[in-house]
Amino acid sequence: LVSRPPAMPTVVLMDVSLSMTRPVQLDGTEEFQRKNLAVHGLTMLFEHMATNYRLEFTALVAFSSLWELMVPFTRDYNTLQEALNNLEDYDKTCLEPALQGVSNIVQQEWGSTCPCQVVLVTDGSLGIGRGSLRHSLSTIKHRSEDKKFPLPFPFPAKLYIMCIANAEELQNSDTLDNLEQLLSLNGGEGQIFTVEGPLKLIDQAYTPFHAVLRCGNLSSDVQVFPRPEPVIMDEEVDPAPRTILTDLEIVGFIEIGDISSPPVLSRHLVLPIAVNKDVDEMGTGTTDETEEENSANQMAGKSPNFCVLLHGSLKVEGMVALVQLGPEWYGMLYSQADSKKKSNLMMSLFEPGPEPLPWLGKVSQLGPTSDAKENPYGEDDSKSPFPLQPKSKRSYAQNVTVWIKPSGLQTDVQKILRNARKLPEKTQTFYKELNRLRKAALAFGFWDLLKGVADLLERECTLLPDTAHPDAAFQLSHAAQQLKLASTGDSQYAAFDHNITPMLTDFSGSGSSDRDRM
Amino acid sequence: MKMFSISHKTAFVVDHCPYMAESCRQQVEFDMLTKNRPQGVIPLAPVSKSLWTCAVECSMEYCRILYDIYPTRKLVNFIVSDSEFHILNSWNQADQSTQELMAALAAVGPPNPHEDPECCSILHGLMAAVESLCKITEYQHEARTTLMDKADRVSNRGRIICITNAKSDTHVRMLEDYVQETIQEQNKLAISSDRLMQIQQCELVLIHTYPFGEETLVSDRPKKEEEQHANTSANYDVELLHHRDAHMEFIKSGDLHPAGSTSRDSGLKETVTLKWCTPRTNSVELHFCTGAYRISPVDVNSRPSSCLTNFLLNGRSVLLEQPRKSGSKVISHMLSSHGGEIFLHVLNCTRSTLEDPPSISEGCGGRVTDYRITDFGEFMRENRLTPFPDVQGSEVAGKVPLERAKRQLERHTRYWPMIISQTTIFNMQAVVPLASLIVKESLTEEDVLTCQKTIYNLVDMERKNDPLPISTVGTRGKGPKRDEQYRIMWNELETLVRTHMGSSERHQRVLDCVLACRSKPPEEEDRKKRGRKREDREDKGEKNGKDSESERSWQESERLKAALERDREELAEAEVIKDSPDSPEPLNKKPRLEVEDVQPAEKAKGPVSLLTMWTNRINTANSRKHQEFAGRVNSVNNKAELYQHLKDENGMDPHENGKAMR
Repeated sequence: LVSRPPAMPTVVLMDVSLSMTRPVQLDGTEEFQRKNLAVHGLTMLFEHMATNYRLEFTALVAFSSLWELMVPFTRDYNTLQEALNNLEDYDKTCLEPALQGVSNIVQQEWGSTCPCQVVLVTDGSLGIGRGSLRHSLSTIKHRSEDKKFPLPFPFPAKLYIMCIANAEELQNSDTLDNLEQLLSLNGGEGQIFTVEGPLKLIDQAYTPFHAVLRCGNLSSDVQVFPRPEPVIMDEEVDPAPRTILTDLEIVGFIEIGDISSPPVLSRHLVLPIAVNKDVDEMGTGTTDETEEENSANQMAGKSPNFCVLLHGSLKVEGMVALVQLGPEWYGMLYSQADSKKKSNLMMSLFEPGPEPLPWLGKVSQLGPTSDAKENPYGEDDSKSPFPLQPKSKRSYAQNVTVWIKPSGLQTDVQKILRNARKLPEKTQTFYKELNRLRKAALAFGFWDLLKGVADLLERECTLLPDTAHPDAAFQLSHAAQQLKLASTGDSQYAAFDHNITPMLTDFSGSGSSDRDRM
Repeated sequence: MKMFSISHKTAFVVDHCPYMAESCRQQVEFDMLTKNRPQGVIPLAPVSKSLWTCAVECSMEYCRILYDIYPTRKLVNFIVSDSEFHILNSWNQADQSTQELMAALAAVGPPNPHEDPECCSILHGLMAAVESLCKITEYQHEARTTLMDKADRVSNRGRIICITNAKSDTHVRMLEDYVQETIQEQNKLAISSDRLMQIQQCELVLIHTYPFGEETLVSDRPKKEEEQHANTSANYDVELLHHRDAHMEFIKSGDLHPAGSTSRDSGLKETVTLKWCTPRTNSVELHFCTGAYRISPVDVNSRPSSCLTNFLLNGRSVLLEQPRKSGSKVISHMLSSHGGEIFLHVLNCTRSTLEDPPSISEGCGGRVTDYRITDFGEFMRENRLTPFPDVQGSEVAGKVPLERAKRQLERHTRYWPMIISQTTIFNMQAVVPLASLIVKESLTEEDVLTCQKTIYNLVDMERKNDPLPISTVGTRGKGPKRDEQYRIMWNELETLVRTHMGSSERHQRVLDCVLACRSKPPEEEDRKKRGRKREDREDKGEKNGKDSESERSWQESERLKAALERDREELAEAEVIKDSPDSPEPLNKKPRLEVEDVQPAEKAKGPVSLLTMWTNRINTANSRKHQEFAGRVNSVNNKAELYQHLKDENGMDPHENGKAMR
């Protein structure tokens, strides 16, 4: 229904083929191996993430003709850096099995709904002959089901390709064409970067999402993590990506029991951030700066923050805050505790639209309780205006008649019979069941059944024991006669809205106990 | 654009020609033997349904499931065809109910077997169905109206489900061709009408019915759903229908396909078996849920089904677990009802990328320990939301409930210190009546009176030198002296009330009362002790140049003060520190003896805010420069009645008789 915005783990797929050791000549600089440039770029990326995305998971995969998971998903950027520095050189570039490997690793760890970023780092020489990307792409249409090309990935993925080659090199080969084809196989999700890549990649994919969380005049600067990605609603007439506002306004509060595990597109941590804290864009923090930052953090820790207050009260009261994310788009804030009893302020995004949850109704129609004539929660908090009741009942909540299986019909006939044998005590139930059967038989044009049940009742009448109440015989033959009349289709007796009513007899008063219960 | 897909409109065309009165030759025993049945009774002969009955039952079952799973936006138009067509309902949402359709079907009744078969045809109904598909639905109309210039983007597609008895393949082709031709004809007509739309796509489903053949009918189900078993602990299954998206993760993960199966296109296995799992859940738990889809039981009246649905309708939830390829199991779904509707919630069962985040106490503001958690909880309760009926035109009047909720939040937070040590007044029970009233959009006279009472009570406390819950955080020693405490308290109260002074004239009066009552500068304190009478006189002398309004309110408050004297005696001991154990101890437990202590020079600046002093000075200065406007001198609450002389002359209210004046 909706493209889901993500939590975004990253897989770095690093080319360690021999061609990566080729030198690259940049203007006025000394010669570098391409590998050195790639490592340098990734180091920048890791440092940036360590500073701004400490909670992001990253894995490192190295590939040549084989692939290997060097570092499984982790938040420990030192481990990643260390593995990156110790990569060895291997043989040739075979991209397809490596991409398959990435696909498997991600699915094993995160399933197939969690969006991922795949950062492919290569020198652009993508192999020759069998195993080359060119070969893979040329055979793509002639694959059997079990040898399908790994792209598109089964999970939503952005593919960023850092190509360590200069423009001239790329122009003289079909590398760029092949890589672009790779991107289009991924549904166009991603981008190709050349030598200057790392900075642009950081800009493009790893900018933290900052916002202001407001509740009336109370507010706090926050980082929303992971970064909420634009959402596209397929069902709209004019689908355009929607992005959440950087001004998140709380519109009111609802009990957890009332909001009742609503479906959400994604979940995000809402982390308060200190204002005026200049985060070094490149994340090349020296030891001094880190210390400074630490003391700044300590200062920030000691000044009151609205997020902490809100979190504490949401947790204690068992409530959520409804927050507006954009025009006709809402979400909720709540306290989330993990197994270690650490708790956090979380934000879940509902599907965009005026009425994301049927049991709340239209969000724009929710207003302050003080506007209601009487408190909908009751003076002692014993009531709730939620959930909203739908206009009509569902089939399982009303007494529908279904006779598609013979058992359905048999059960309904038995019910009538059971009550027939307890006349006159069960007069009301008897007629209620009888009328239900009558209505269904008329709607289904099943007149033979009406005759059949009439016969059945007449027979029951003859089988009544001597001890039976005299009223029972009267009611049974009256009911049988009425059913017979209805089975003729005569409009006088076969009207759908007509109900067979108990025959008034001298004994009718005796059914009163039953009537009281109805 | 998928908003108006094929399933938006479904036209049912059910054959009502004489041959449909034929028996389907499937016999149903209805006279079942029961335990306490007397011996020797011969059961009655079984009954048999007609083809018509089968067709109607199945189409009703289709509608039942459809309305359960998609209560809105998926519409059915029911048509019956014999010597002519009979349209039993419209596309209107209000007409979409099985009850309505059953009543209409009862009125139609079974086909008449003696009618001339030559006059009867399914074609009448098919033509009506095509015409009907051209008719615009409420939803399409609404979309076209909102889109205005892009109205042509609203699509019109639909499905015709025709239950008939097809005689041959040629007959089937004839029906298809007829529908095709009729669509072309009707599309031509539709161009020139506002109420009609051209059919862009139409799916024709022909269901052939014939005696002996029960299966073709019973197996027909909405295409979009798939089935799912919930195996209850008592070893019986409940089959449920719902939107297929509820099993997306399952399908993608490949768990749906046993090892070795190669073809994904060979059609998905449509049933997923989930097991009822024992851990109970409660409504106070917030599950991470990625989807919620309405369900409908396949066999709605069966014992296992109604057992499960009643359990759920009574407000309980059931967690379901799913087997995985690896053989392990995972809790993947939850059944739960909301407002009488049962939903299948899809629970997230993969590893979360948000695991193990730092606790909120490690971040900004995390080291602060005296947040007003309880007070904010109270604030949240006051700002809970409640649904209001959607009234046309409410947007215009600025009364959209959600906007009002936002406005209330704004008012309630104009002055809201976040920590206990930042506030005095919110730690005082005595301030509560005023604090809870002043945030209101409008005040009644009674509210104003309550606020004033609150203020006099504070004055009284000050007179008695009652201790205040002033924070000692960050200060050395005993903290501020008693009169300094009251100065802080009055400043804070003034700040609170001042943020609301613009709301209404009554809010302003509360502020006036605060300004009039708040403690006097220290030199006045001494005079106070020498006797109230004299102080009053001096006070008047001091304020001589000021406008009469504040004077009046001062006198008024003095009068009220006297009246309330007795009440206050009782209220005085109600002073309690309200909130957390972190609240500072009440100060100066021992009575202060050094009353004669000389105040330091800075503190002599007194309790009046700089703004007030400045405003008073300017007012005084200005008032000396001119003679006061007569109206203002005679005004009541800054409002002077005009044309008073007319009233005197005529002896009647000029407002009521404006015309007579001219």
